[in-house]
Amino acid sequence: MPDLAPEAARPRLRAPRYALALPAGVWLVAFFVVPIGTIVWFSFGYKPGLFGTHANDVLSLDRYRETFSSTFFATFQNTLWVGVAGTLLCLLVGMPAAYWMAVKAPPNRRGLLVALVMVPYWTNFLVRTIGWQVILAPQGWLSSLLQTLHLTGEPLDILYTRTAVLIGVVYNYLPLMILPLFVAFDRVGEPLREASKDLGANRWRTFTRVTLPLARPGIIAGTVLVFIPLMGDYVTATVLGGARGNMVGQLVASQFQTAQNWALGSAMAVVLILVIAATVAVIAGLYWLASRPLQARHRLVLEDAP
Amino acid sequence: MTPPPPAETDAAPADAVVLRRVSKLYGEVAAVDDLTLTVRRGEFLSLLGPSGCGKTTTLRMIAGFEYPDTGDILVDGRSVLGVPPYKRQVNTVFQAYALFPHMSVAENVAYGLEQQRTPKSEIRGKVAEALEMVQMRSYANRRPTQLSGGQQQRVALARALVNRPSVLLLDEPLGALDRQLREEMQVELKLLQSRLGISFVFVTHDQGEALSMSDRIAIMREGKVEQLGDADTIYSSPASAYVAGFVGQQNFLEGRAGESGAVETELGPMRSSRPSETRPGERVRVAVRPEFVDLTADQPDGTSENTVKGTVIGVAHQGETRQFLVDAGDEHTLLVRRPTPRAPRLDVGDPAWCHWSPEDVHVFPHDGAHSAPPPTTVPDQPSS
Repeated sequence: MPDLAPEAARPRLRAPRYALALPAGVWLVAFFVVPIGTIVWFSFGYKPGLFGTHANDVLSLDRYRETFSSTFFATFQNTLWVGVAGTLLCLLVGMPAAYWMAVKAPPNRRGLLVALVMVPYWTNFLVRTIGWQVILAPQGWLSSLLQTLHLTGEPLDILYTRTAVLIGVVYNYLPLMILPLFVAFDRVGEPLREASKDLGANRWRTFTRVTLPLARPGIIAGTVLVFIPLMGDYVTATVLGGARGNMVGQLVASQFQTAQNWALGSAMAVVLILVIAATVAVIAGLYWLASRPLQARHRLVLEDAP
Repeated sequence: MTPPPPAETDAAPADAVVLRRVSKLYGEVAAVDDLTLTVRRGEFLSLLGPSGCGKTTTLRMIAGFEYPDTGDILVDGRSVLGVPPYKRQVNTVFQAYALFPHMSVAENVAYGLEQQRTPKSEIRGKVAEALEMVQMRSYANRRPTQLSGGQQQRVALARALVNRPSVLLLDEPLGALDRQLREEMQVELKLLQSRLGISFVFVTHDQGEALSMSDRIAIMREGKVEQLGDADTIYSSPASAYVAGFVGQQNFLEGRAGESGAVETELGPMRSSRPSETRPGERVRVAVRPEFVDLTADQPDGTSENTVKGTVIGVAHQGETRQFLVDAGDEHTLLVRRPTPRAPRLDVGDPAWCHWSPEDVHVFPHDGAHSAPPPTTVPDQPSS
């Protein structure tokens, strides 16, 4: 019997819609969910003897108790301080730069400026950080220059301190702040700023009432993008921090690599994750509380309209 | 912003905006070239011209977004040179509306009042009144993104008018609306303007818009005002071939001027009884509107002047009018528009005679510049 409409008769094989997200999903499970799960699992175990790294036949919360030692607490405070101060500095430095790039710079130069922001990323992270070691060294050229100019009487004492780590992280993470801010400011667009000025708002009020509120998603993205990796940073603190600029990342690494105590290292890592999440939540809550009265001041609801 | 200035001199200035010999250069090109223009108090003035004629630049200079290179701009009798937009008693309705997406409709309208430090108790009433005026009261608490284009347009209008500016500038505000909505808004805009008595400066490239709303129209070309006058004057006494071609439709013929209004053209002798600045012997351009051309199957009696024989090559029914396209030979086509009840019963292929009277013929110097191209097909729509 001749098949008159083979195309229509045969059901077409179609991949489900979520197939597009499948590669990313598999990747996420294999390289994010599984490792994190493993870390959490290890953190309930212990270090069996001198040569073992971890064992989970007896589960306990003892590693967490060990985690909250005074050294760890001091390092955590230091990490939080560098994380918050570094993020704020990035915001402070990045905001005007991004605003200038998106609003004031000639439009045909914007591509070039974005490229320039990205240029440091073409060089290895570690090499760039070691570069700062050279600059900040007490015998380095910056130190000599400052002494020659009589700005300081003695050699620069910044390397291997918290200040050096702060300089290093601001330098390393600034592009991650500038790019989302640039996109956010750019998307506000000239017409809305012109409309604001047309309605009698000067530059500052245009910025606070139109540009800044509309750029808020970018500001949040930039802040989160800088704060989270910064809190877990390990390279910058190792190269520039020394003993006085310790960060939790180093502590975790030393448990895994030097002390070979994977259980304790895992517990520290889990605490770090929780603290980062809690800090972000607290900051978001504070921001929400602070912005409420500001928003209420400009709210206008006409009751008799739906 | 400051309240309207008190009468400094003996009387309040009669003109809302005065542009005095204003020029604006972009590189080598003059976007606005030695322009002098007055916007009277309470009038609806349109700046009409094709894109690139400088009309939007002119508007942006009045608003303060561009500064003129030379010349002076006065708003309410005071020079605003160097005055930033936020200190000018001028408001704009932008082409893409530029409503603030993070504010409700009411908050958008309140924005200008807040900048003037209006007490909150007054803001509420003024916002409600302004939204009432554009029939958007019931949308007060919505976000602009939840509104249609026409509704956003009304909100933009309310947001500008609530500040009671000396002049309202409108930058092709109806361009994004569909035809029917656009025609409705034209009527409403005109009513609103005459009710409020605020001067409107309306930038458009749509002659229909300009003709239906304006008290006066400034036809712009290459940064200059080609003609300034009311719709009647612009339509019936265009100052140049450019204006004649830009407003309404025209049949143009090339020719050479003779004595006392006679012109020898490619399609035979023509005569105009209208005053013209052309001299005998000069190359000229003769213009006659499609609606003034009479079309008959037989040769008209009497004179042979202003008469062209041809063949009907197209007929279009357009409700109240009927359009004919007549091939007059030598690649010349004439467009004829007759009221339907009095339209001749002619069809494609029929021979026909076109005839018109000397008072409907305009003779312009041949400046060699671009004008509307001759019709080659019967247009689907009458161009308003």
